[in-house]
Amino acid sequence: MITLTDFMIVSAVLFCTGMFVIISKKNSIQILIGIELMLNAAILNLVAFGKYDRINNSGQMFALFAIVLAAATTAVALAIILNVYKQYKTIDPDKIKQLKD
Amino acid sequence: MSIVQVLFYFMGLITLASALTVAISKNLVRSIFMFFITLFALAGLYVLALADFVAVTQIVIYVGGILVLILFAFMLSGKEALAAAQLQSNRFVSLSNLPALLLALLFLVVMINIIFKADVSNLQWIKEANGVKNVIGSNESMINNIGINLMTRYLLPFEAISVLLMVALVGAAHLSRKEGTRV
Amino acid sequence: MNKALPYQDIQTVCFAIAAVVLPFAAFVINFLFLGKSKLSGWVSTVAILVSSILSVIVFTRVWNVQQIHVKHLWFIIGDNTLYTGILLNNLSVLMLGLVSVIALPVHIYSTAYMKDDAGYSRYFQYLSFFCFSMLALVVMDNLILLYAFWELVGFSSYLLIGFWFDRATAVQANKKAFIINRIGDIGLLTAIIILFNQYHTFDIAQLFKDGGLIASSTINNGLWISGTTLTPVVWQYIACIGIFLGVAAKSAQFPLHTWLPDAMEGPTSVSALIHAATMVAAGVFLLGRVYPLFNEAELTTLAVIGCFTAFMAATIALTQNDLKRILAYSTISQLGYMVMAMGIGAYATSLFHLVTHAFFKCLLFLSAGIVIHQIKHIKEDNHLNIDPQDIANMGGLRKKLPLTFIATLIGGLALIGLPLTSGYLSKEGILVQAFEWAEHKGSAYMLLPVLASITSWLTAFYVARLILKVFYGDMHLLTLHPGIKIHIGDGGWRYKLPLVLLSLCCLFPLFSLNPLSHTQSWLLYGLSSYKGYTESIFEIIVPVVVNVLSLVVMYYAYIIYIKQSIWVSSQTGLLYRISFNEWYIDRFYNCVVVKFVLALSDMTFWFDRKVIDGFVNLLEKIGVFIAGIASWCDRYIVDGILHLSAAIVQAIGGFARRFQNGKVQYYLFSMLLAVIVVFILKILIWN
Repeated sequence: MITLTDFMIVSAVLFCTGMFVIISKKNSIQILIGIELMLNAAILNLVAFGKYDRINNSGQMFALFAIVLAAATTAVALAIILNVYKQYKTIDPDKIKQLKD
Repeated sequence: MSIVQVLFYFMGLITLASALTVAISKNLVRSIFMFFITLFALAGLYVLALADFVAVTQIVIYVGGILVLILFAFMLSGKEALAAAQLQSNRFVSLSNLPALLLALLFLVVMINIIFKADVSNLQWIKEANGVKNVIGSNESMINNIGINLMTRYLLPFEAISVLLMVALVGAAHLSRKEGTRV
Repeated sequence: MNKALPYQDIQTVCFAIAAVVLPFAAFVINFLFLGKSKLSGWVSTVAILVSSILSVIVFTRVWNVQQIHVKHLWFIIGDNTLYTGILLNNLSVLMLGLVSVIALPVHIYSTAYMKDDAGYSRYFQYLSFFCFSMLALVVMDNLILLYAFWELVGFSSYLLIGFWFDRATAVQANKKAFIINRIGDIGLLTAIIILFNQYHTFDIAQLFKDGGLIASSTINNGLWISGTTLTPVVWQYIACIGIFLGVAAKSAQFPLHTWLPDAMEGPTSVSALIHAATMVAAGVFLLGRVYPLFNEAELTTLAVIGCFTAFMAATIALTQNDLKRILAYSTISQLGYMVMAMGIGAYATSLFHLVTHAFFKCLLFLSAGIVIHQIKHIKEDNHLNIDPQDIANMGGLRKKLPLTFIATLIGGLALIGLPLTSGYLSKEGILVQAFEWAEHKGSAYMLLPVLASITSWLTAFYVARLILKVFYGDMHLLTLHPGIKIHIGDGGWRYKLPLVLLSLCCLFPLFSLNPLSHTQSWLLYGLSSYKGYTESIFEIIVPVVVNVLSLVVMYYAYIIYIKQSIWVSSQTGLLYRISFNEWYIDRFYNCVVVKFVLALSDMTFWFDRKVIDGFVNLLEKIGVFIAGIASWCDRYIVDGILHLSAAIVQAIGGFARRFQNGKVQYYLFSMLLAVIVVFILKILIWN
């Protein structure tokens, strides 16, 4: 029997991996991938808990919504990354720091 | 140990291994493809969590949409982006990565600690769900139920998500237009 | 007091004031409006002409008729009320008339004499200013204003001596004159202060009239008593010494006479007016004003000093070669006569001699001016390098300058005191009275009149020497520089007229109808202090002996200088050197007084530099040190606190700023760190 805890541990590791990618990578696209990893970790939790709502299917529903939102986010983020690249000739977020005080 | 459990651990292992490869890899293209594997493995995990529709959607949208989008963006952005992407330090545990690694591990420890403390299997509402048999069975198909729920109970979020998606698409198209074609 | 005066007197007073103020008006007009215009000479001349006419009118109205004294309240300070006004008595109207009448020919002469000078208008400004000061000096009724004009006279004399201020010698001379006059001024001021302290008034009329305050004060048991004021008698002596110092400085008496020969650096016309006729007589005039102050012993001292001055100056004049210096020493000598006459009590005769001397000395100086002017012309025409005032260069000018020669001759004879001239009348008067005085006093005092007589013969000698060397014989220049052209003459009417006028004034009829007896001069009777004296044997003997010997001396001089046969003493003899070097008085002053003063100045300078400045510097250093401490405190403590707080704020700001480095991942990292910290805390608290 697969317990919820198993799913959650996998999800937690996945989440931390995503977080590590986001914080450490110097490439915007990889950061985007990191975000997707974290999102997937969340979706995994939703799906895992969705098993206990047979009537309303709320976990699965919100997993679907989350996937769709991730798609939208990715599209917009990619567009932004492309623009930033056009503007600054780099996609390293550390080098784009004009907001610095 | 049932075959389901073996499958779970196998899928989980693949998921985490590929995710870690994504994290470690210096090569952007390689990490994108490892991410591809991660998504497939996650789809497998969704199936094991009795959410086959979500697993299919995952494959369709993530693998067919997002990943392709990323690949396209990456490929279309030209040689310079590729070259810039290659310019990274090769070590996994470099000094600049150390804080990130520590933070991630810290998070992991805390989260696992919390997970064990929370003891999710014995939560009130899960026990109630078990009691009233509100649990998805391993041989049940939830696709009909999902479709009905989507059009009834979750109609408003569904429509909102649709509008949002459209807005995002329009916005993305607007943002990635060529210079000088401003309308 | 004014109301009581009849109309006639008011008019007289107005005339006198006008006579005084007119030269001042000329000065103001010249100074303010005319600038460098040649008109200024005529403005001054017209002013002095009107002034002299008015003076003569005033003279005729006041002389022997009355004394007019007008005074106005000037100011009140404390309990003392000061009046200012004019006092017209015989003495002051005599001086008023004399100064303006002498000034008139000098002005006329000056318009010609100075016509080519760059400072023509400046000259007339100064001259008018001098006339104003001098005229005001003689009419003032109060010691304060007398002192003020006394100073102004000295000041204008200073300006005129240094008229050619581009000559170093002129600057030296006027500095010397000014400093020596300052010594006298201090004396006079001291005397005035003492007199005020004693009598509480500055009024000359009140102080010195017959039976006035001075006359009624007595000296008793070492106390000087006047009314209710008692002071130690020493103050009376100091007052007399002070006045004598003033007189000695102005009238060039023995210890303070050295400025006068040097004052000849000024224009000759100025020498004629100021340093021969008028200003130097101011000292004698002052003696006349304050005459009652002196007692017997003091008068004797005065006589001794005057006699000594006369003798000394005459001996010096014997050997000088500078034309003007000879005349300057003769002036000193004659002033010595006047002071001596004052000392022996011949008050009126002294003033009489003052008047006659003014005329003939002025005449002599103007003649000398013409001679010098002409020699200067020769020098400039022929580009010679000679001193135009050196009598060694002259000679034989008798035919070239006939009028000048006659004028000089008349002036010279008057100076010697030969009969038929005015000089005879006054000088014999002095000698006769000196002999009589000495006879009264005792045999030791006989030295004085004898010395005066010798001086008289010395005078005869040097005058003869002067005239012979300048006008007789051959032109020395021609022998020294053969071939030079000489075109000289007496000059225009502006030269001739003053000479003629003054020559007439040097003859006896102006003063006495009897050319041989001084006792019949109207002037003597006009001066109140004159005491008639009994006929004595001296009356006949003295003039005869003196004049005969004078003639002998003159003949002797003629033999020496014209025949060139004998020399009295070799040029290197001791007596000659003493005389030629002016008795070494100047050198003595230079060696002792000037060096002493310089040393004293150096010492005080050193003191000032080292001690006072040192003290000041010490204070300064202390101040700087304290300021340094304050600055240190300010910099390191006050500013330190400030900087510390600023640094803390900056450090905090810098620390906070590091989070705002614009790196998105860093923001995220920080945020997550904060979240995890909250989580960990939460867990720890939970447990």
